[in-house]
Amino acid sequence: MSVSIRDAGQEQLIVATGLYKSFGGEPILLDVGVEVFRGRILGIIGPGGVGKSLLMKMLAGLVEPDAGDVTVLGQSLQSLNASGLARVRDRMGFLFQNYALFDFMDVGQNIAFPLEQMGVPKAEITRRVAERLAEVELPGIERLFPNELAGGLKKRVALARATIAGAPILLYDDPTAGLDPVTSSKIFELIRRLHRPDGATVIVGHDIDRMVAVCDEWLLLHEGAVLFRGTTEEGRASSHEVLKTFFMETGMLGAAA
Amino acid sequence: MTRVVRALGTHTLGLLELLGAMALLQLRITRALFPPRYDARETWRAFYKVGVKSYPIVIMTALFTGAIMVIQSGHFVAKSGATSFVGWAAGFAVLAEIGPILIGLMFSGRVGANNTAELGTMVVTEQVDALRALAIEPIHYLAVPRFLAMIVMLFLLTALGDLFALIGGAITADLMVDIPMKVFLRQVFDAQLLDEYLLGLLKGSFFGMAIAVVSCHYGLTVRGGATGVGRAVNAAVVAAAIAIFVADFFVGVVWTVLSK
Ligand SMILES: Nc1ncnc2c1ncn2[C@@H]1O[C@H](COP(=O)(O)OP(=O)(O)OP(=O)(O)O)[C@@H](O)[C@H]1O
Ligand SMILES: [Mg+2]
Repeated sequence: MSVSIRDAGQEQLIVATGLYKSFGGEPILLDVGVEVFRGRILGIIGPGGVGKSLLMKMLAGLVEPDAGDVTVLGQSLQSLNASGLARVRDRMGFLFQNYALFDFMDVGQNIAFPLEQMGVPKAEITRRVAERLAEVELPGIERLFPNELAGGLKKRVALARATIAGAPILLYDDPTAGLDPVTSSKIFELIRRLHRPDGATVIVGHDIDRMVAVCDEWLLLHEGAVLFRGTTEEGRASSHEVLKTFFMETGMLGAAA
Repeated sequence: MTRVVRALGTHTLGLLELLGAMALLQLRITRALFPPRYDARETWRAFYKVGVKSYPIVIMTALFTGAIMVIQSGHFVAKSGATSFVGWAAGFAVLAEIGPILIGLMFSGRVGANNTAELGTMVVTEQVDALRALAIEPIHYLAVPRFLAMIVMLFLLTALGDLFALIGGAITADLMVDIPMKVFLRQVFDAQLLDEYLLGLLKGSFFGMAIAVVSCHYGLTVRGGATGVGRAVNAAVVAAAIAIFVADFFVGVVWTVLSK
């Protein structure tokens, strides 16, 4: 069951339809559809192992679906060649759940990397890297290497790298895993600040209490399918059993009360 | 019986698939070379790492290769009394055949294996995906610099290793076969082995290419976490050794045909 699709007049930056993916004969995603609208922040939630990360990678064209199609900024990823795909990815920032920091570069080089590839002048790179590090509450750690950092710190460095280029479409896979409540709130604040009205943001997360303050709409994955899709109000109003249980356990209904 | 045939068929198909995948990788690397689309800093890093990692073992290998060749031919020479052939025999074998092959195998074990492990780790820790997410083509950024570095470095290391092999041979000739160093080196020089030297260098370049493609292929196609990386390194070293012998054969044949 999937609930209402929003105003048809709104522009979609990402549209995925009929996504199917299995590994070794075991289906993970069955017929999943996603729409991400301009100016919106979408939260993707669901139990562990349901395929949230997989879905995110498909939206960025990093994993090919067995069936189905992903269209980003009006271009079908399946039909693009390498350079076409690269041009679309220039418009996206991606935070990996497992950081995916370059271990042969220090923190500063990691965050600077996207800017270097774009040919931004050195002085400006240094300044922007320092600024962004301060914004993720890690000022001055440029010279440390990823393997010297704890998980929560790596996550924030990876977030800095994903957002440094100022891409309009931002995809965050579990941005606050392993962070304390105070830092989590700050990270969500930063995510909201970095969200561009002319772009779109997608957040995969478990921290629904805090995500409620940021996300406009939701997508709940359950057993390989989209169980719910809609706004926060629609989610609260829904009477679906699994939906209720899920939101109840994660405190979203509590926040409403 | 059918089981044997089926197993043979499966293996043959698997082998063809592997060769196809490597040919494709070679093609993609070559396409990225013209016009040059690769990262200068990453290329410099690859050259530095490849060179620094491998030159000590190459020199060690070369010294002993020269020594062994002299001992072997010295044994024969002592029986027949053809002392003046020692330099020629050892020089010929080392420069044209044994030197490049042994240096190539050592290079593969050191640099090739390391490359597979490095790329494989980058795959399983999603660093390769991160490159793609940042609109960087992993072939351009990772494979091309390593490809260039391995070809150039194995060429240079073969050139250098050959010299050390001759030094090793000269020392051994002096100490164990009673041919003074000077005499041995003069023999090598008089044998006019420039052609063999060049053949060896050509082989070295092709070995570098083969090791690069094989090690990049196995690294970039790793699956299944840290154990997968281990398996890939193992497979890459075996495949690179086979590739070295195959390349040696073909370069040798083409060279012989062309120099007639
Ligand atoms: N490359 C792959 N090869 C095999 N199986 C995979 C692969 N990628 C994902 N899977 C499987 O797909 C399923 C979904 O994985 P995914 O990482 O997307 O879950 P998730 O919803 O992000 O979980 P979590 O909340 O723990 O992050 C898992 O069972 C996983 O084992
Ligand atoms: Mg996940």
